[in-house]
Amino acid sequence: MPVGDAFTPDQLYDIERAVRHAEEASGLRFSVYVGGADSETRPFAQELLNELEDPDHTVLVYVDPAGRRLEIVTGAEAKRQLSDTAAGLAALTMQTSFATGDLTGGLVTGVQQLGTNAHQAPLLHANEPHKQ
Amino acid sequence: MIPELTGHTLLVFVGIPALVIAAIALLVFASSIASGPRYRPGLSWWAPPVWINGPAATKPDPASLPELPAAPGTLATAGSGVARTTGGASASW
Repeated sequence: MPVGDAFTPDQLYDIERAVRHAEEASGLRFSVYVGGADSETRPFAQELLNELEDPDHTVLVYVDPAGRRLEIVTGAEAKRQLSDTAAGLAALTMQTSFATGDLTGGLVTGVQQLGTNAHQAPLLHANEPHKQ
Repeated sequence: MIPELTGHTLLVFVGIPALVIAAIALLVFASSIASGPRYRPGLSWWAPPVWINGPAATKPDPASLPELPAAPGTLATAGSGVARTTGGASASW
């Protein structure tokens, strides 16, 4: 297998753009890690989440291409906006693309889906007094 | 009667077909050559880790990656930015 980067600059740009849009839509922070884990992927992904600045409001997408494992980890506050069921649906979307070898497409689609599902409608007229 | 092989004959019956075959092969493989190595599930992964929107928004140094907890399933309690409880989902392919 040839040695090189995991993504081309164009692919990186697409993923970063999807991350940015997801953050704008949800107000949460999104992070994507693609690489191997020395042991179990779930604890490793949780440790990666804890390395970030605001882990409570962060959604981490961890992909292990060699081990063919995907982990979506949501922080304590992010979990309230993005349910485990919604994360599972996004994981299913990504899983389908990854199985065909499309890492970039899976990440872009999955992150977009996570951002859309974590979207919260703005609270309007909350400070106005109730009128009869 | 067997015709004599001349340079012109070789050019027409060998050179031109070889050129056509090379052009078709180039057209077929051009996109994969341009896009670089492709991920193939089940084969070894060749690239260094990439962390998009990570702590420093750069690729991490493997030596600085966090140590795994001693007991699986328990989260570290030290540090200021430690998530309390986490949710999410897992999948494999």
